[in-house]
Amino acid sequence: MPDFEEGGAREVTLKINGDDFRILVEPRENLREVLHDRLGFTGTKEMCDRGACGSCTVIMDGRPVVSCMMLAVEAGGHDIETVEDIERKQHPLIETYADHNAMQCGYCTPGFVVTAKALLDRNPDPDEEAIKSALEGNICRCGTYPAHIWAIQAAANRLKTREA
Amino acid sequence: MSDELNIMESEPLVRDRYVPKEFKLVGKRGVQRRDGKEKAGGKALYTRDVALPGMLYCRLLASPHAHARIVKLDTSKAEKAPGVRAILRYDDPELEGKALEGLETKFNAGHIASDGQAFLHGKFELAVTQEQWMQGGGRVLDGFAWWEGEQCGVAIAADTIRQAEDALALVEVEWEILPHVLDPIESLKPGAPPAIEEINKKNNIIRKVKIEEGDVEKAFKESDQVIEFSIKREPYTAAEPEPMSNVVLWRGDNVEIWAHQQQAYDGKMLFCAKMGIPLNYVKLHIPHQGSQFGHGGNPMMHHTHGLHVISAILSKRTGRPVKTLYDRRDTFYGLSQDAEANTKFKVGFNKDGTITAVKLDTIVAKMGQYGIDHFMDNTRIPNLLLNYLEAQCNIPPAWWMRCEQNHNAFCLSAVFDHVADALEMDPVEVALKNDGVEGRDMAYLAAFKKDHGFQVRDSLAEIVEKGKTAVDWDAKWHAPGKKVLPNGRLHGIGFTWDHEWDDIRGVSCVGLMVNVDGTVDILAQKSDVGCDYMTTHCRIVAEEIGLPIEHVNWRHFEECGFQMMTPDGSCNLCVDAYASIAAARKVRRKILEYAVTPTTLIDIEYPAEFPGYKVEDLEIVDGIVRVKADPSVQCPLSEVVKRATVEQAGTRAPVFDWAWHRQGRYGVQEGRHRLCRQCYFAEVEVDPDTGEVEVTKFVSVNDVGLAVSPESCEGQQYGGAYMGVGRCLGEEVVFDPKTGVKLTGDYIDYKVFTIRDIGKTVNILHESGMGWGAYGLVGIGEDIATVAPGVVGNALHNAIGEWVDEHPVTPARVLAAIDKAREKGIL
Amino acid sequence: MRRFKHFDASSLDEAVSLLARFEGRAKVIAGGTDIVGTLKDSVLPEPYEALVNIKTIPGLEGIRNGAGVLKIGALTRLEDIAHNETVQTKYAALAQAARVVATPHIREMGTIAGNICQNTRCWYYRCAHNRFHCVRKGHAAPGQSLECFASDGDNRYHSIFGDVKDCLAVNPSDTIPALIALGATLKTTKRSIAVKDIFPPSDEPTKMTIIDSDEIVIEVEIPEPQASSRSAYHKVAIRKSIDFPIVNCAAVVDFEGDVVKDCHICLNAVHYKPYVPERAEALLEGEPLTDEQAATAGEAAVWGAKPLPMNSYKITMAKGLVKKILIACREAG
Repeated sequence: MPDFEEGGAREVTLKINGDDFRILVEPRENLREVLHDRLGFTGTKEMCDRGACGSCTVIMDGRPVVSCMMLAVEAGGHDIETVEDIERKQHPLIETYADHNAMQCGYCTPGFVVTAKALLDRNPDPDEEAIKSALEGNICRCGTYPAHIWAIQAAANRLKTREA
Repeated sequence: MSDELNIMESEPLVRDRYVPKEFKLVGKRGVQRRDGKEKAGGKALYTRDVALPGMLYCRLLASPHAHARIVKLDTSKAEKAPGVRAILRYDDPELEGKALEGLETKFNAGHIASDGQAFLHGKFELAVTQEQWMQGGGRVLDGFAWWEGEQCGVAIAADTIRQAEDALALVEVEWEILPHVLDPIESLKPGAPPAIEEINKKNNIIRKVKIEEGDVEKAFKESDQVIEFSIKREPYTAAEPEPMSNVVLWRGDNVEIWAHQQQAYDGKMLFCAKMGIPLNYVKLHIPHQGSQFGHGGNPMMHHTHGLHVISAILSKRTGRPVKTLYDRRDTFYGLSQDAEANTKFKVGFNKDGTITAVKLDTIVAKMGQYGIDHFMDNTRIPNLLLNYLEAQCNIPPAWWMRCEQNHNAFCLSAVFDHVADALEMDPVEVALKNDGVEGRDMAYLAAFKKDHGFQVRDSLAEIVEKGKTAVDWDAKWHAPGKKVLPNGRLHGIGFTWDHEWDDIRGVSCVGLMVNVDGTVDILAQKSDVGCDYMTTHCRIVAEEIGLPIEHVNWRHFEECGFQMMTPDGSCNLCVDAYASIAAARKVRRKILEYAVTPTTLIDIEYPAEFPGYKVEDLEIVDGIVRVKADPSVQCPLSEVVKRATVEQAGTRAPVFDWAWHRQGRYGVQEGRHRLCRQCYFAEVEVDPDTGEVEVTKFVSVNDVGLAVSPESCEGQQYGGAYMGVGRCLGEEVVFDPKTGVKLTGDYIDYKVFTIRDIGKTVNILHESGMGWGAYGLVGIGEDIATVAPGVVGNALHNAIGEWVDEHPVTPARVLAAIDKAREKGIL
Repeated sequence: MRRFKHFDASSLDEAVSLLARFEGRAKVIAGGTDIVGTLKDSVLPEPYEALVNIKTIPGLEGIRNGAGVLKIGALTRLEDIAHNETVQTKYAALAQAARVVATPHIREMGTIAGNICQNTRCWYYRCAHNRFHCVRKGHAAPGQSLECFASDGDNRYHSIFGDVKDCLAVNPSDTIPALIALGATLKTTKRSIAVKDIFPPSDEPTKMTIIDSDEIVIEVEIPEPQASSRSAYHKVAIRKSIDFPIVNCAAVVDFEGDVVKDCHICLNAVHYKPYVPERAEALLEGEPLTDEQAATAGEAAVWGAKPLPMNSYKITMAKGLVKKILIACREAG
């Protein structure tokens, strides 16, 4: 049995993509490793592990946050949305990213997509400046940045058409 | 038969003679990227994501010292730590004789560094053996460290990553700390301590190279003008997104490996050689790669095969799959870098802009690039002299990283801009004046093109026109240091050029399997580093057979007996495309032969779909076989295949074929001149008060010969621009000068540039058809990031009026240059 | 990364008593974006024993515009500050500073109090696995003397105003210069204290602030600037995003016509604590703010600076930055 020492490992309920996951976590475990290594949400990528690249971005209560810098014990009770949900719900970003070649090696791409989804949730018609502002914390070593602007604007247009 | 199939033979000095007159898919825009949705949706699997039932996680000790030997290693506490399942120590008998090396294994023919034409011309003097020159990596999990952060001593496998790390913290190591040296120039001075005495006790020279063409001293005397200057590049590294890892599972007599490697098959061969396992008992999986940029290729470091050895031994001992993984800091440490390079220049030229002689003295740390190659490859400069020295230092081994031409391109940019500046000439004019090859002029090159069946086009003249228009060069170019913008910033604009790389080496093979529904699987394993091969080869195969692109698929992750090249001088498509074109043409012919030939199954005859016709009468269009003269006589390709393969309860005879291509010797190909050119323009604004630089516009014009996937080529253009601008302005591996500890071990201190760091990129593809690759193409992937630091440097000189002779051009160096320009009265 | 205990505090009292219980070996965690990094890197020889999460305490987040004073709850996210309309219009320097902290993601997590209390970025101090057991970390082993590795190491990003007790690390905060120039005050569980006064005297190099280990920041209060004043902020860094400052600067200038009535300037990343260039402020007051005057103020701002072997450029940069910010204030009208 786990040792429920005061201030030590404890059970938390993570609400991920609408589903509850009740798991035992140590305080030192971050949300990224719990998502990726323990729960199989492998779209949440480990890249810099210091909050400086955006590859592990998830949307928490509407905000794009870097899950590597968030302790899993503090993530309980919040709504967490990962790239898997964005893909499952066929958000147009998935298609427009493929159309506009907005990736090369693709390792950082889910982090961009999640960040872009959070942007579109708040701003359905972002101009180039708004997109750059949203993505300035996402590192793409392959340098695909311009293509993200095209892909996100195309997705915004599809969302508008869908609503109309 | 080969004429009818129009398949290129492996003949390095012959261009593709069988380029179709028109294409339906090749070169067309709007084809959706094949792996796009899986990558965007987080469904693409990378080695880091691989998790097998019961998998253990293994972490390695990293040396805290720049040069040290393990005297005592106490793992007793770690052995008792929770979750620890196995510990592998450096003194384990099974590690004996397992050197980290890649050369001269029993499998490969000793492919040596392929660093350009200079290789053919240079006189070598190795202070050490050939293997030692390749930086002798020591042994897998050795008992000493040659640089801070080197993986050595002990590997611990535990149930979780945390447990492995907790146990590692309990390991007690007693080190004998040895003297170290970091700076290549210091390292060569008499009295410097031996950086790696296991390799060379006498001194720290690794290699000397001398290359001489013509007579530079005579030419300097006869030149109108001679200038001297020097430049230095600090080291930079790939900072690859996916941290290093592998997974190895020992299954009875068989072994399975999941690898994060560019040349993963090379790693498998090395692994098999070290472990004494036959190649056919090891199955290699290559998931998507979180990039590579070439730096994972160094066989002298753990990441090519050392990790496989460690994981495999631990897997065999525990009976469980083992993932050995680096964290971010390990990845910055444990992979190669493009090391420090220092070059002194002496350049002679005439008033009309003709450069007559270039002399270079280059000193690099560990292993570098000469700097002289591109003066040979794409100029008419007749007199060249290189003196080159590699110095041993206690820094991680160097390896070419997007790409092996970094210093060569940088030196070319520097010389041309210095000459233009000295003559107060437009640098574009100076480039056009000196374009050529191996000391010979454009007239020679025109004759060469004609002799080899190319159109006689002047690639550089064509592309500079496009680039000048895009950047409005004639209106914007000005004398250095002479334009202040209304916002108070200094305006600068720069130009540089080079030859487009390249298509000079490698072997590739591919199989094609036609399914009973008429779809085609491409069979070849390839390490996907992101250049969109899936779409590109699906395009080519669909084009050549006559299928809709959706009917062709390629999942290149598993071993199937065929391997395509992975970027390797960016020549991969030049070589790979020959193979996929040839295989597709063979398969197409086979299908048509079936279409006119009945199948006999014991006593039943299944009639041909096109009885009485000949193969030549038929064509395949959009997956339909039809009669050329009367397209209404037609039949779906799938019907032909179904009948011909006598499908029975799921098994069938194959409609299958394969092809291979060898493009020259691995290394260089004498006499195959580079005919396509690339050029770049950059526009910058410099804040004279703070030294901040804004790259407002970056224009790439690349003569790629032919762009099979235009959007992917453009992706290389703007993508390379961001990497190149970052290299120019920010990327730098910094070591503490006293201890040799790396100070840039994360993405905060190592500056990879962001979406904010270039105002606008303009990406222009030019297609002259003058490449040696299939369809007349040449590579593009490495060019931009490699050449960009030069063009941004030139633009900064144009803004400030003074050279920044050390890269990266940080605000500190910009401010120093501004001070100098002010002292001289330029600003 | 070693183990630590973690507590979710439900009230300030509970948080304070938890912190007191660990006698300096526990730390508050708010956004976590700084402290999680130091824990991951095992920067300290003796890691913190516990973290006390204050995000579970209600009422610490939000921006309230009161009578002549703006109140920003300690847990207010930097991104919310950057996009708050009142902050953007009346406290421009703060909005600009908050806008350029790290990355958007970090700003969505990181709090104003965290940005004020953040640890140094000295790359010797922060080097993983405590590779440099430096003077800042203390705890010398018997017979061991601690040093600052930057003093004869790579000090391109270090102090230009000398060391404190041999330490050359600088304060990297983006928002602090803006808060000091704007005259902000911190309300903590123990006191009310001007932001400019929270920094330790020069004999305490290991501490970023004098806020006690069992003291928690509750709120930041900023008096409403004069309607005739203008403020600006700028950071110089290698990259346009993600980076910490090489030098940053904020200024608030109150004008009467063209003439400077009152002026507050604050530089950061130049010393172990934020640097208020009083000479520059004094010479500006009562004079029209011309370009020349701004340049002179820049010169005055770095009076007494002592460069290290690799960072004299930071003096030039600080000079230029002060000039640039003053002109930005003038042009903001």
